[in-house]
Amino acid sequence: MVEFKNVSYTYPTGQHALQHVSLKIDDGEFAFIVGASGAGKSTLIKLMLRELAATQGEVTVNGYNLNKLKSRKIPELRRTIGVVFQDFRLIPSMTVYDNVAFALRAIDAPTKYIRSRVPYVISLVGLAQKAKSYPNDLSGGEQQRVALARALVNDPQLIIADEPTGNIDPERSYEIVDLLKAINACGTTVVMVTHQHDLVKYFGGRIININTGAVVFDEVIGGIDETQQL
Amino acid sequence: MRPSSFKYLVKQGLASVWHNRVNTFASLCIVIISLVMVGFAVLASLNISRLIGSIEQRNEVVVVILDGTPDNNISLLGSKLAENPNIFEVNFYSKEEAWIDMQSEMTADEQALFDYITENPLPDCYRVRVSDISLLSQTVSEIQAMDSVELVKAPNDFASILTSVRNVGAVVFAVIIIALAVACFVIISNSTRTSVYARRREINIMRYVGASKSFIRIPFFVEGLTIGLLASVVAFGLTWFAYVEIYNIATDYLKSWSFFTSSGLIPFKDLALATGVCYLACGALISSLGTVMATRKHLNV
Repeated sequence: MVEFKNVSYTYPTGQHALQHVSLKIDDGEFAFIVGASGAGKSTLIKLMLRELAATQGEVTVNGYNLNKLKSRKIPELRRTIGVVFQDFRLIPSMTVYDNVAFALRAIDAPTKYIRSRVPYVISLVGLAQKAKSYPNDLSGGEQQRVALARALVNDPQLIIADEPTGNIDPERSYEIVDLLKAINACGTTVVMVTHQHDLVKYFGGRIININTGAVVFDEVIGGIDETQQL
Repeated sequence: MRPSSFKYLVKQGLASVWHNRVNTFASLCIVIISLVMVGFAVLASLNISRLIGSIEQRNEVVVVILDGTPDNNISLLGSKLAENPNIFEVNFYSKEEAWIDMQSEMTADEQALFDYITENPLPDCYRVRVSDISLLSQTVSEIQAMDSVELVKAPNDFASILTSVRNVGAVVFAVIIIALAVACFVIISNSTRTSVYARRREINIMRYVGASKSFIRIPFFVEGLTIGLLASVVAFGLTWFAYVEIYNIATDYLKSWSFFTSSGLIPFKDLALATGVCYLACGALISSLGTVMATRKHLNV
């Protein structure tokens, strides 16, 4: 669960990135966060990850009150969140397997569990044949799948996808969102930031539109995908 | 932390040494050069200090005994001189020995002048050597205060010059060693900072997947430690080789200066253990701590 209560954030330069934002994303929800560049989407994500601390208001993520969260407890919070970035952020010197396993090693998971869990998650994202490949040998779509597998592997309560389709071709973008939808169907909360309106229109669901640091639209809309299914 | 996780982190650190081989090589070279430079400055200062020490030990203070002093008082004076903490050598030089030595150094004409002297005019003496020449004047005063002493002849000017040379040398070498050590530390920390900066993205990813700070630091620490240890081994080898070469050349050269022949330079075998331990400790400490400190900035994500 993600909850923002009257949250504002002002950068040290004096730029007001978010102003009095209140929103709640319940467990098991799928929400698109849309908005123009500089609208405050990234700041919102940084606040959820406790990369930044709100200058005003209260942020709660997966039961952690981020205003009161001590610095040493941040890794604990992040272990309940899977993050997918636009630029994948894979470690180029590690194979696909190791990149995914890395998220489990970081939380001190037993080796036996890593050996059984990692191949399973890699196969879930359809990359079983590429487990020994290095990120640079993969296409953008495949790299994003690895990033998704890494985000999924420790079974997080929440997945934050920050422009996950920004660096891949449109066809593969739909596949990535499909994967995220499938993950969400298993009960994981998904927050996806995007500025690709066609994707949002296609898939529909809860749309949170941010403009100049404020939530200007927060509603559930039907997608083309759903209409087609009907 | 599970032993398996620790093993994994150590393995990661060792693997990074190879993965980042360009940075590893750069860091290795910098640490090796730094260690050799500082090491040689220290070794040079030790050798110069030893040479000055050997010159100092050639000092001789002559204690002239009052004429007519009974033998037991002369022996008592010898014991008192030997008890002085700054005197490391006491030799009795009888008036008879002095007479023979003086005559042997004379030409036949000079000796003819002494044909009319039937009684030995020379006094009995003690020849003593002091260990710390900077305390010479104090020691001379102590000797003068002893019974049966007529006169003390000491090389006071020589002592003050040597003391000045030693003090100036100590300061100059201390400044050189400190300046080199500081310069090396700055270079090494910049090199590790560059190496860590190149991998800030990796650190950033680790933070996002919930890795604790210690989890991120351990591989960097292992990597730094490995580089430091490797560098110290190579630096030790280079120092050994270069020192032995310099030692051989300098020893041949110093042989022609009878002044130094009794001591010469310190053989490397006497310095090897201390040099090796210092290199290992400094190399490991500077590299590993430098790397860990350099990661700090990138951990606050």
